[in-house]
Amino acid sequence: MTAGLVTAPPRSEDRDLIDRIIGEQAGHTGALLGILAKLQDHNRDKYLPMETLEYVAKRTGLPESQVYSVATFFALFNLDPQGKHTVAICRGTACHTRGSRALLERVKLQLGMQETGDGADKVALTTPDRRFTIRTVACFGQCALAPVAEIDHSIRGHVTEQALIREVEGLRRERVR
Amino acid sequence: MTEKVKVRIDGEVIAATAGQTILEVARANGKYIPALCYMEGLSAVGACRLCMVEVSGVARLLPACTTPVQEGLAVNTSSPQLESYRKIAIELLLVERNHVCAVCVSSGHCELQTLAQDHGVTYVRYPYNFPRLTVDATHPRYVLDHNRCVLCSRCVRTCAEVEGAHVWDMAGRGIQTRLVSELQRPWGESTTCTSCGKCVQACPTGAMAEKGWGVEEMTKKRAVVSRLSSIREGQ
Repeated sequence: MTAGLVTAPPRSEDRDLIDRIIGEQAGHTGALLGILAKLQDHNRDKYLPMETLEYVAKRTGLPESQVYSVATFFALFNLDPQGKHTVAICRGTACHTRGSRALLERVKLQLGMQETGDGADKVALTTPDRRFTIRTVACFGQCALAPVAEIDHSIRGHVTEQALIREVEGLRRERVR
Repeated sequence: MTEKVKVRIDGEVIAATAGQTILEVARANGKYIPALCYMEGLSAVGACRLCMVEVSGVARLLPACTTPVQEGLAVNTSSPQLESYRKIAIELLLVERNHVCAVCVSSGHCELQTLAQDHGVTYVRYPYNFPRLTVDATHPRYVLDHNRCVLCSRCVRTCAEVEGAHVWDMAGRGIQTRLVSELQRPWGESTTCTSCGKCVQACPTGAMAEKGWGVEEMTKKRAVVSRLSSIREGQ
């Protein structure tokens, strides 16, 4: 995560968008959540750049620390650019007992990703070419289908290493074609 | 508004005002309930779980700092079960960060240390986390040492509620939660910090301290923050 030292203000069209979204949501309590969700949705790389957070704080009058707190508390929000494809591996208890750690390790290996090193159980890694993001999820609520993986918002149950790698390789080859 | 109620704390009948919390009533009447995140003059958040008490008729334990009193409430502030839970809570606070009293400016004046001593926490039964944490010494007068932070959020509330600057907040969640100033800017580069130092005085441990003190030398003036808050309420 990059510390927001000196951040350039967002471009004027981005500012207009932020102003419009804040205008729509303004007033009611908890508006910040909706504002951040919409902004992330409009972002090309599905993330919230520091300069956006700074500008949101300025426009809404909320303390920057509070905006940052909300943006980092919810797993929904990303502070780093996301890959084109997202592979989410469930690390809930049921999936864990059915071998989701091996799935996670396998897909990380397949995409040539480094260990985060800080021993965190939560993972959100993006390949340098921004093709893939791998993340962990606490539970999809589909424990009967364990182990579960989500590939680009579609949930797959009873995932095996082979099936997962086949899917990932399929997405990877898309670019070549 | 000022409806009088009678409550029982450890068997003693005490007159209280409806809307007061169990902790406020207990403290006003010389009853001791341990607490770390509670501070007079700040809003209560129930973060440290040390003020848990037994309320008759309620199966689970309730935090005294956020539970309002009502007529006929009977509270037990101490029992072997409560004592063992409080001990666990203190031990878990100790394993989460790197609390090394021997080299801490606040040793001898630290609320966490005092609580551990009062509750007989002479050793810790859980493995330590030993997280790698940073020290922010960018501010000219104060220093923030994450190794000693217990995430009580007293500094956050002091800054937001008493000073009105809201420089601090909590980022992340769970074990990854960290105190941050603004958008994770170094404290010294903060644009909203007024350098009033009230967060430092509110901090229960050595996580926030004035620069220039050696081991055991940093004493905090917590009453100042509470007094400021009560003066403003009176206006």
